[in-house]
Amino acid sequence: MMNLSRSVALISLFLLPLLSFSFSVDNPTDRRVLVLLDDLSLKSSHSIFFSTLKSRGFDLDFKLADDSKLALQRYGQYLYDGLIVFAPSTERFGGSLDSKSIADFVDSGRDLILSADTSASDLIRGIALECGVDFDEDSSAMVIDHSSFSVSDGDHTLIAADDLVKSDAILGKTKIEAPVLFRGVAHSLNPTNNLVLKVLSASPSAYSANPSSKLSSPPQLTGSAISLVSVMQARNNARVVISGSLQLFSDRLFRSGVQKAGSPNKYEKSGNEQFATELSKWVFHERGHLKAGSLVHHRVGETDEPAIYRIKDDLEFSVEILEWSGKSWEPYVADDVQVQFYMMSPYVLKTLSTDKKGMFHTSFKVPDVYGVFQFKVEYGKLGYTTLSLSKQIPVRPYRHNEYERFIPTAYPYYGACFTTMAGFFVFSFVYLYHK
Amino acid sequence: MVKSTSKDAQDLFRSLHSAYSATPTNLKIIDMYVVFAVFTALIQVAYMALVGSFPFNSFLSGVLSCVGTAVLAVCLRIQVNKENKEFKCKTIVTNLGGIVAMFVIAV
Repeated sequence: MMNLSRSVALISLFLLPLLSFSFSVDNPTDRRVLVLLDDLSLKSSHSIFFSTLKSRGFDLDFKLADDSKLALQRYGQYLYDGLIVFAPSTERFGGSLDSKSIADFVDSGRDLILSADTSASDLIRGIALECGVDFDEDSSAMVIDHSSFSVSDGDHTLIAADDLVKSDAILGKTKIEAPVLFRGVAHSLNPTNNLVLKVLSASPSAYSANPSSKLSSPPQLTGSAISLVSVMQARNNARVVISGSLQLFSDRLFRSGVQKAGSPNKYEKSGNEQFATELSKWVFHERGHLKAGSLVHHRVGETDEPAIYRIKDDLEFSVEILEWSGKSWEPYVADDVQVQFYMMSPYVLKTLSTDKKGMFHTSFKVPDVYGVFQFKVEYGKLGYTTLSLSKQIPVRPYRHNEYERFIPTAYPYYGACFTTMAGFFVFSFVYLYHK
Repeated sequence: MVKSTSKDAQDLFRSLHSAYSATPTNLKIIDMYVVFAVFTALIQVAYMALVGSFPFNSFLSGVLSCVGTAVLAVCLRIQVNKENKEFKCKTIVTNLGGIVAMFVIAV
């Protein structure tokens, strides 16, 4: 009996360090990533991309998409923190995976990289549709661009795209100079969906059609409405990258030079490697992930948080926001975080000033309205996690002994009372003693 | 037509004026007091219309004290008026001093 319990304790001691490597609130970078391939040769044809991921500390688990032992969860616990699906032609996943389990995976806050290609199956299209991305219905269509193609290509399907989204969080601070090479299918985004974003869009001269057959009617997807690579940040801050081309991540396009048709610039190396690396840093929460401490507020001159404010009080408000740098929490520096003093509509809206050490603070006067207010910080910057913090606080009017002793606007009323008293006094004398 | 109506108005006003001058002096004193109290109340209402009702409590106290004393003065006038025979039996004291004492206590 004793031996059994002691050995169990010893085993659990050894297992404890392993727990610290998994995904948690304090360490948001994913560690264990499942990579689904429909062909094991992708391991070697996309080796540069996978080796950059491994060198950043990710634990990649390569499996075939129809492997019958596939499972994302066991006994209610997720086995992986991230999922890369490079299996565009798989009709059905093996094991316990299907589009619903992948949707649940993203719902639990975990990240996904999904890539389609020219022969995208309905399964992959369905997963993309769950994330708000609509691939072209025609399964043989590819993106064709007769003015933005790479000159090394014959039939204008290898696009040299440089219409990137302007976001330091998603694509990193260094500008991607060379165009990004792309060959694959087009997708479009619903314009009313504010969770998806086009990271790489096609040029206005692109369209989606079958390259080997003659067009009988104008193509449905054209121009800048075509997105080549999109991202989605869900409301629980899970991040999804959906790409229309698997070749974009391949070693061949990483290494090839690029020259866009009609442009004299010839680049030795395409922008694909930098693009894919920066995007993978963003999707696995190595960049642009914010955490906020609690909201702190108090009257000017005090340190305790009061339970109720009075109208026209002066108060100070502060909040701490940290950014994950990939290894540690750094102070977040920005000048556009705002706080609202909100009751059905914001009565006060102030931009917080930062001390560059992660503390954001401001001070303002409570408005002349009483009720139950909320301090609300709603921060939704492009590429960063959305912060949605609120704290409730009531505001009361003046107590009757908090007014001035004699209110200046009421002097006529005071005067009226006294003249009435004087008038009564005079009247009573006059009335009783007149002749 | 117009001339006759204006002449009627003038005749009416003159008859009212002459009838009023026939009232005894003490009643006229009470009337003046009532007019003064109501006038003070009206001034306060005009002030509130200008400035807004901020210390509403003060406004109410001013106006209601003026109106209250006017009402009590009118009661006094009714009881003291010799032409109101029917009220005589209703008063507890019938002499002038008693009635005035009641007024004073009420104010």
